[in-house]
Amino acid sequence: MPEEALENKMVIKDLSMYYTDFKAIEDVTFDVPARRITALIGPSGCGKSTLVRCLNRMNDLIEGVRVEGEVVLDSENVYQQGFDTIGLRRRVGMVFQRPNPFPKSIYENVAYGPKLVGIKDKEELDFIVEDSLKKAALWHEVKTILRESGQNLSGGQQQRLCIARVIAVQPEVILFDEPCSAIDPVATQLIEDLMAELKENFTMVIVTHNMQQAARVSDFTAFMLVQEQGQPGRLIEYGDTNTMFTNPSDERTERYITGRFG
Amino acid sequence: MEIRKTFHQQLEDLYLDLLKMANITVDTIEKARRAFANLDAELAREIIDGDDVVDDYVKKIDENGVEMLARQAPVAIDLRTIIVIMRLATHLERVADLCVNISKAIQNLGDYKLSPWISENIDEMFKRAVRMLVTAVESFKERDEAKAESLVEMDDTVDRINRSFLTGTDRESEEEVDLVIRVVMVARFIERIADHAVDIGEEVRYMVTGHFVT
Repeated sequence: MPEEALENKMVIKDLSMYYTDFKAIEDVTFDVPARRITALIGPSGCGKSTLVRCLNRMNDLIEGVRVEGEVVLDSENVYQQGFDTIGLRRRVGMVFQRPNPFPKSIYENVAYGPKLVGIKDKEELDFIVEDSLKKAALWHEVKTILRESGQNLSGGQQQRLCIARVIAVQPEVILFDEPCSAIDPVATQLIEDLMAELKENFTMVIVTHNMQQAARVSDFTAFMLVQEQGQPGRLIEYGDTNTMFTNPSDERTERYITGRFG
Repeated sequence: MEIRKTFHQQLEDLYLDLLKMANITVDTIEKARRAFANLDAELAREIIDGDDVVDDYVKKIDENGVEMLARQAPVAIDLRTIIVIMRLATHLERVADLCVNISKAIQNLGDYKLSPWISENIDEMFKRAVRMLVTAVESFKERDEAKAESLVEMDDTVDRINRSFLTGTDRESEEEVDLVIRVVMVARFIERIADHAVDIGEEVRYMVTGHFVT
């Protein structure tokens, strides 16, 4: 089968990150293809969450963090001087491990971002809220209770509300940091199906502890590892998910995904 | 720290079951060779009765393999190994079935006197088929891609001898048609055993490289 040429939404080049003197990740290079799901896997402490937080500069907020190398978004290095980080976090949204809806109504949770960027028209906001909740596969469950608190929803619903909240500001990339580790298996399946649907419009990166989740949802997989304690996390292998899970090239990848260490 | 100990123990058990099944199958071909050489109907009977053991193995390997696929979600070399073990079990079962077919032909050959040409060539085919199956199983055990690939060439000779039965039996004009048909069938059965050895080699190459061989 001829492979369709993939356009890269993001390119990570020789990326290293330090917490003051401690080097957390070193020389990571890989591409994030547009409208595909890229998974980051690896044992605890390998730097995968750290890495994904570099993609929208969430680590900037931590004292002593220093980054070398580049994170290119549509041909622009997001770490270049004067880059608009607020705009970056709108373009590259994030869904966290624990669902964290605001203590507001379901409607307000989704409308919050659009209002922040200046949308005031009621009809337009109504449309955005409905559209975002539909895209997050939550609309039918909440359309009659939009004025109730988002925090009254179940864990899985709250996580989809958070996804709707991200979608509402029309990001280009969505980062998921362990999005299913705090929700039940059925809700997990819903989120995984949802991610597959969102591929039509969004580029996604998911950090997951669950290797089978990476195998199920992603198109590309990056495997990270800390070789010895105290060393930085490095990218060991990156490839299309099918190859990574049926025939990985690196013995360390094989040993990790087959559970021969972990 | 190995974290999937129980699963890897199950995989080891599956592997050992396949090796036991392979040993029985190789022994069965060897028995079929002796049964044909002596037109030994008693030994042929023993082969036919013994087929249940092989069937039990393939059932056990399939059941355990499916269970592991369903419950352990194996990946990479573990996934390829389980798939290949299950396929190898199917090939070995067919080899055993072909030995049953040969044994039935032997029972029907009764008291015919075989010409030296037939005896020698069938015996040669049997020996080559045994060697091929042993090589195929070794390539699996040793994960040896080159050994697995060597089966293709080994098969050429078996094919050639098999074809000589179609053209060469004319010279046995004194032999009855009934006998010739049965002998040609036996040659064809052995030739198919050799084909299964080649197929096993292809499966082993997939297991080792991750690339399907056609």
